[in-house]
Amino acid sequence: MEKKRLYLELENCIGCRSCLAACTQCGGHEERNRNYVYDVNPLVNRQTMPLMCLHCVNPACARSCPAQAIQIHETGAVLSALVEKCIGCQNCTIACPYGIPKFDEEQNLMYKCDLCIDRTKDGIPPMCASVCPSNTLQWLSDSEIEAKQKQFNLDNGKWVTSLPYLEGETNVKVNLPGILQGTTKLF
Amino acid sequence: MQAEISTKQTATHSKPSGNAFASKFAKSMFITVSVIVFLSFIATRQFTHVDLNLYGYMVGTIVFIGGFFYRFIAWGERPPTKIFIKKGIKLLFRKSTAKTSVDHLATYNFIWNRGIYRWTQHIMMGWGVILSCMVTFPLVFGWMYFTMPENGFYTVVFMGINLMTVKADGILAFFFYNALNFSAVMVITGVSMVFYRRLKNMQARAEQKFMYDFLPLYLLLFISITGLSLTFQNVVLHGWGQPAMSLIHQWGVIITLIYLPFGKLAHIPFRPLSVFARNYREHYMEQSKKECKVCGTSFVSTEQSQDVVNVLGVNNMEFETKEGFHLAELCLPCRRKYRIAQFSGFPTHEVKVKEANQNAKG
Ligand code: SF4
Ligand code: SF4
Ligand code: SF4
Repeated sequence: MEKKRLYLELENCIGCRSCLAACTQCGGHEERNRNYVYDVNPLVNRQTMPLMCLHCVNPACARSCPAQAIQIHETGAVLSALVEKCIGCQNCTIACPYGIPKFDEEQNLMYKCDLCIDRTKDGIPPMCASVCPSNTLQWLSDSEIEAKQKQFNLDNGKWVTSLPYLEGETNVKVNLPGILQGTTKLF
Repeated sequence: MQAEISTKQTATHSKPSGNAFASKFAKSMFITVSVIVFLSFIATRQFTHVDLNLYGYMVGTIVFIGGFFYRFIAWGERPPTKIFIKKGIKLLFRKSTAKTSVDHLATYNFIWNRGIYRWTQHIMMGWGVILSCMVTFPLVFGWMYFTMPENGFYTVVFMGINLMTVKADGILAFFFYNALNFSAVMVITGVSMVFYRRLKNMQARAEQKFMYDFLPLYLLLFISITGLSLTFQNVVLHGWGQPAMSLIHQWGVIITLIYLPFGKLAHIPFRPLSVFARNYREHYMEQSKKECKVCGTSFVSTEQSQDVVNVLGVNNMEFETKEGFHLAELCLPCRRKYRIAQFSGFPTHEVKVKEANQNAKG
């Protein structure tokens, strides 16, 4: 089975927040969601975008954790804090360049997207990608992502995943919104 | 890298006494073992009251201490850990330390908030193990023993001092003899609860591994059952098979001690770090607060912000932006909006609107 990864086409988002609702239902998430949906220009229009943990190849959250509570799964997923190890220092929340990890003061515990590891380790798509109605969140193999790249190659340097719009190499691939950059997306 | 570390070490250990040891490991080992031997020397009135039946535990303990230092020192060398240990020790005498320690290490309030079931498990296993260690190890090292100067009365000798005299068939003596039976029942209850959860809970079932999650449970169960069986053999079978069982029990304890610093149980000796972390956050938050470079809200202490930036720097991560700030200097909502801005080309973080509902419960 070819390895699949999360792939985002940010401009498709319609702001339904199904991804967040589905996130709460994943095993071990204890009915709390772990990602974000933002209004891009809240006073002017309704464009929204999801902000997900991008599962960095060299994750700042894990590097800054004094307790080694954030483990990297063999699939590349950067896991949520191990409950017995997290000492509640919140270094990870300060370190993540995208502000992803959430912290529960009462439980003295950090929690973050684990890419629904109980599903994705067996090749089942994560909850968010399973429910997104607009194909903003997709679960694709590398060759499928490559095909997307060819399909959307606008030859003007405006497309293409991740860098330089991110701080480092990530396991989740992000597609930049052509619409907002003034280019029409070629479906 | 290697060269850099060793020069740093020689620099910090420039005092002549520091150089007598080949490594931090050797030094910690030597000091700890010396302290134990010294305490035993005093407590056993110059080694005149040593219970050699418990010799196996001594060896086990020494091996455990070796494993513990090996793990702890490797762990403490990581840049973020080093900061917390160093500053944590400095802040140890804060007023709140006592309360935080009780919260984190004795009553486990944070686990209560994670769930009452899991809290009960922890109290049962945690206190069961602590109780049995408090009984066993003072006996092993001769820090505590019993004498019977006159018939029908035991004298409890602690650290070489006659602590108290109890009636051999009195209520206190009953608790002394049976402390280990009580603790065994506590541990067995806790372990059974954990087993039940691990069989039923889907998330636990997806993630658990034999070596990490189950082995420590089997070990604790093994120790508790063989321990209880010793009592059973004593009372019901008049001591039949006790020497053999006693060896089996000791063997179980020794294996557990050797395993302890490496598997899941390692979180026990490392847990006090959470008190350090709490003190660190409280102390430096009182000192000076870091204001978000975009919205001006203070969200962390200046010290922690700087420490995280440094740790990231050591890992070659410099999240400098073209606006001239480090991403760690933005509060979390602004940092997220700043990323949206990078994607869309529109400066979302500059729109003075509170972020839409991002509550984890929707
Ligand atoms: S489910 Fe898809 S469309 Fe709905 S908010 Fe999430 S990303 Fe946007
Ligand atoms: S996006 Fe943040 S939380 Fe996710 S792996 Fe990277 S540093 Fe960690
Ligand atoms: S809050 Fe927990 S997971 Fe985050 S850095 Fe601190 S110990 Fe690690």
